[in-house]
Amino acid sequence: MAESPPLREPVLDAKSEVTCQLIDFQWKLGMAVSSDQCRSLKYPYVAVMLKVADHSGQVNSKSIKMTIPQFQNFYRQFKEIAAVIETV
Amino acid sequence: MAGELEGAKSLSGLLSGLAQSAFHGHAGITEELLHGQLYPEVPPEEFRPFLAKMRGILKSIASADMDFNQLEAFLTAQTKKQGGITCDQAAVISKFWKSHKTRIRESLLNQSRWDNGLRGLSWRVDGKSQSRHSAQIDTPVAIVELEFGKSGQESEFLCLEFDEVKVKQTLKRLSEVEESINSLMQAA
Repeated sequence: MAESPPLREPVLDAKSEVTCQLIDFQWKLGMAVSSDQCRSLKYPYVAVMLKVADHSGQVNSKSIKMTIPQFQNFYRQFKEIAAVIETV
Repeated sequence: MAGELEGAKSLSGLLSGLAQSAFHGHAGITEELLHGQLYPEVPPEEFRPFLAKMRGILKSIASADMDFNQLEAFLTAQTKKQGGITCDQAAVISKFWKSHKTRIRESLLNQSRWDNGLRGLSWRVDGKSQSRHSAQIDTPVAIVELEFGKSGQESEFLCLEFDEVKVKQTLKRLSEVEESINSLMQAA
């Protein structure tokens, strides 16, 4: 049977998601100063290193960068999650 | 007067085209296209150096991320140069940079990001969960989906499960980052 490429399921569809556990979370705050395209970058960013384990126990690391506004949104969302999870 | 206005519109269009090509990664904007669309009456051997000059000026402004004082000084110097630009042209370039600076800067930043950048975050909290990997049922669980990817590549997704304890631990880590950012901003 030919496999069709998996469609991206909407997030709210619980049953089809394969979730991982976050084992470790490392972060750094950096500043990109200059590049060959732009001599004056002056770009602060947050880089996070996520160590995750899937259900089989296999551990993977993912590094993700974000801008300061993106990080602040990320933080704000987590505070919301904390508020909601407490009330459930 | 009408001729000058026309010149301003064409130059504005040219700068847009150059920005699309040089910064926003739009591949289809060729010299021929810009020439034909904006300066059809100008002979190609005149258009080519003109285009190169404008491209050079725009790249210099973007590379230095000029503020408005720097821009004024730079453009004034260009008007005084041999084979430089006219005052009208300087005015058009100035107006263009002022309205496009943020977008161009963002594109330049994206070009310098070679690793995964965060693209999206969605989440929900499940009231009850049952998992054959967890001894507990009826524990609230947060499902967080991160969307990220490298510049120009398709998104990857990571779906993480957090119980209340994990949420609090993560929140503590995030507050450390926030503190660090605040110190950085204060020091700047």
